[in-house]
Amino acid sequence: MDASSFIGPFVPELLLLGAVLLVFLFDVLGIRRNEGLSTIAVAATSLALLSVLGDLGFAPLGVFATLPPALLDAAPTGAPLYAFTSLGLIFQAIFLLSALLVCLASASRPSNEKGAPIFYGLLLLATLGMLLVAVATDLIFLLLAIEVTSISTYLLVAYHRRESRSLEAAMKFFIIGALSTVLSFYGASLLFGAYDSTNLFAIGRATSTVGFPVLVLLGYGFLIAGLAFKVTLVPFHAWAVDVYDGAPSDVSAFLAGGTKKIGLFAFFLVFLGPILYIKAIGAGESPFQGGALDLGPVLTLTLAVLAVITMTVGNLLALLQKEMKRMLAYSSISQAGYMLIGVTIGTAPAITGATMQIFAHVLMKGGAFLVVAGVAALGIGPLIDDWKGLGTRRPLLGAAFALMLLSLAGVPLTVGFVSKFVLFSSAVQAQGYFVWLAVAGLLNSALSVFYYARVLKVIFFDAAPTVPVAPTAPPPAEALPAGGLGYGRAVTIGLIAVLIVAFGVYPQPVLGAIQAAAQHFITVGA
Amino acid sequence: MSLEELAFLALAVVALATAVAALLVRELVHTILWVSVFFVDLSAIYFLLEAPFLGVLQLGVYAGAVTILLLFGIMVTRKRIFSRDAATGLGPIPLALAAVTFIFLIASVGEFPNSPTPLQTYAPALLSAQLFGPNGPWLLLLGLIMLSGVAGAIYLVREGRE
Amino acid sequence: MTALPVEGFLVLSGGLLAIGIFGLLTRRNFILILIAVEIAMNATILNFVYFAAFAPTAAGLSGQAIAVVLIGFAATEVAVGLAIVLALNRIQGTINVAQATELKE
Repeated sequence: MDASSFIGPFVPELLLLGAVLLVFLFDVLGIRRNEGLSTIAVAATSLALLSVLGDLGFAPLGVFATLPPALLDAAPTGAPLYAFTSLGLIFQAIFLLSALLVCLASASRPSNEKGAPIFYGLLLLATLGMLLVAVATDLIFLLLAIEVTSISTYLLVAYHRRESRSLEAAMKFFIIGALSTVLSFYGASLLFGAYDSTNLFAIGRATSTVGFPVLVLLGYGFLIAGLAFKVTLVPFHAWAVDVYDGAPSDVSAFLAGGTKKIGLFAFFLVFLGPILYIKAIGAGESPFQGGALDLGPVLTLTLAVLAVITMTVGNLLALLQKEMKRMLAYSSISQAGYMLIGVTIGTAPAITGATMQIFAHVLMKGGAFLVVAGVAALGIGPLIDDWKGLGTRRPLLGAAFALMLLSLAGVPLTVGFVSKFVLFSSAVQAQGYFVWLAVAGLLNSALSVFYYARVLKVIFFDAAPTVPVAPTAPPPAEALPAGGLGYGRAVTIGLIAVLIVAFGVYPQPVLGAIQAAAQHFITVGA
Repeated sequence: MSLEELAFLALAVVALATAVAALLVRELVHTILWVSVFFVDLSAIYFLLEAPFLGVLQLGVYAGAVTILLLFGIMVTRKRIFSRDAATGLGPIPLALAAVTFIFLIASVGEFPNSPTPLQTYAPALLSAQLFGPNGPWLLLLGLIMLSGVAGAIYLVREGRE
Repeated sequence: MTALPVEGFLVLSGGLLAIGIFGLLTRRNFILILIAVEIAMNATILNFVYFAAFAPTAAGLSGQAIAVVLIGFAATEVAVGLAIVLALNRIQGTINVAQATELKE
């Protein structure tokens, strides 16, 4: 393999790696001004984003395309470690978008922080890991790429290294992350033992022809448990709220909007293969049919149950929260349940819906956490009730936040409505008990309207406290140094609000690209 | 029963016993002792499996570096060495989880045709071809993991005024 | 040399994994949690080495390559965990997970 054939496809990744090394070099040289470093990070992520979009074939960006077209959606030969599917590239674009938004908003961080180079370096490294997840076709490659992101995010959560909140959140995150890592690698080792390969295509094909029922089932069970921690599915969700709550808000935006999604793409890669292969050859011929177990339906049913439990429990707990960040964290958990529907059903429309939902969630939840960061910087407390009257005092900020919440609830003319519509209608199309997934999703959306509406009421219709805002709880220390919202955050929040409406009114370009990619993904996979 | 089987049996018993001991003994320093025995024991199992390279790596990284790291951690945080409250709170859920895992694994044992294949003999050239050939990206990813780990860890423990 | 019994290995690695998970979820001291993680990680590595040793084809040797990578990864994980715990220790003077309760309501 000569160098040029390796560099071409990996230009976005190499761009990020270059930026990481540059930022670390600045750290050594003692150049630590936040604004300059933020500019580097924004430049690297946006260039990488342009390159990925160019590779996807968006005509105006053809200049930036670097991937040899022959490699895109090529049928896999042998047992490759990575391959470039258009769905993978769309996920890369989504991941880069979330990183770009966070880098842009971070321009408003206090400019004299000593750790700024480390902050951006780790952020970019985490993004690099996410990009690599999106091209993986090998179980070990996939899990190691997830670990690149995980290790970086443990340290990002600990970024405020003089605050016990931040460090405790990091410690919890680390313990749960380590558990999840061990479980997934153990699952991978069992699959490796059963099939003598770690290639996802080979494993998918083998599950439909070679039978080691208990060992394989156990392997997939461990993988589901391990990945479920990353995606915050319900029996494995308890850590998420504490971590999102304790982490710096910009990092929470990245965790909820960005890194969580790699687990979902991993679900696509790991579980769609066997489900599709077994569907393709027909249940009658599956080696599991003769035994007590039929792997495809067992996997599907497990994922369906997890999806329903996750959305319901997430929503119910969100109803009870008094703090804004915790409410958003629980709502984020319930959204993961909606996304899992796509993996469960495994048809092209369902994958389209789930991908669209992930894209929408990056905007909505990332935006909402950035608003929380901005509001904290304004000196307003963490409780929902502290936000009283925000709509009158800061009409634009209040309106943007309202837009994000409406989109999360799935109100028409927002991107959240489009994604939910595609997702639930695909569940209805798929017939069978999948229709119940759509019903559960709709009921849950209705339920979620309650707590979003409550927040809207507090922001717009409750009178602001007459005394100048007195936070009811001691504000998180990140509120202290920063004064005001900051240009970076204001621009980012505005941009997100515009995108939410724009893609809600005119989703065609994104939706079309995702539909084509999902179709490809299914045919390449099967 | 062949000599290898006997050796394996002995090593397996030692591994399980030291793992339990490491987590249950009352003093952290003793924990380190047990866990280093555990690491060395596993390294012996790798030698038994004709994987001497891994055996040596296990000795160097685990029995050497990781043990020292853990000792170092205990030394620096020594305030709490001898006071481990709630040392044996046997929560029922993790115990059940662990037990179910174990039972399932034993259930899967019968699936294998009874050890038909002979042991692969040690082939360093093949191993390095695996490490640096088509599977090379694994090592690159490990490099990325280490880069982020080292950069972040240094930042966290670095002294300096904010 | 003769083949070793697969049952024995699965029982051993399953037992180690169970011990590791159990320790991870019940111990309060962070150092002990790290050790529990390492025990479970070693169970995984043992699995890979074992399955590589008895793989029907030479391609199965990739299991040993995976084991090499995992050993390196586990060492990094320990370093990161220790860094977090040292930073916490510096400001709080405790490494007891049960006492890290500021986030609980």
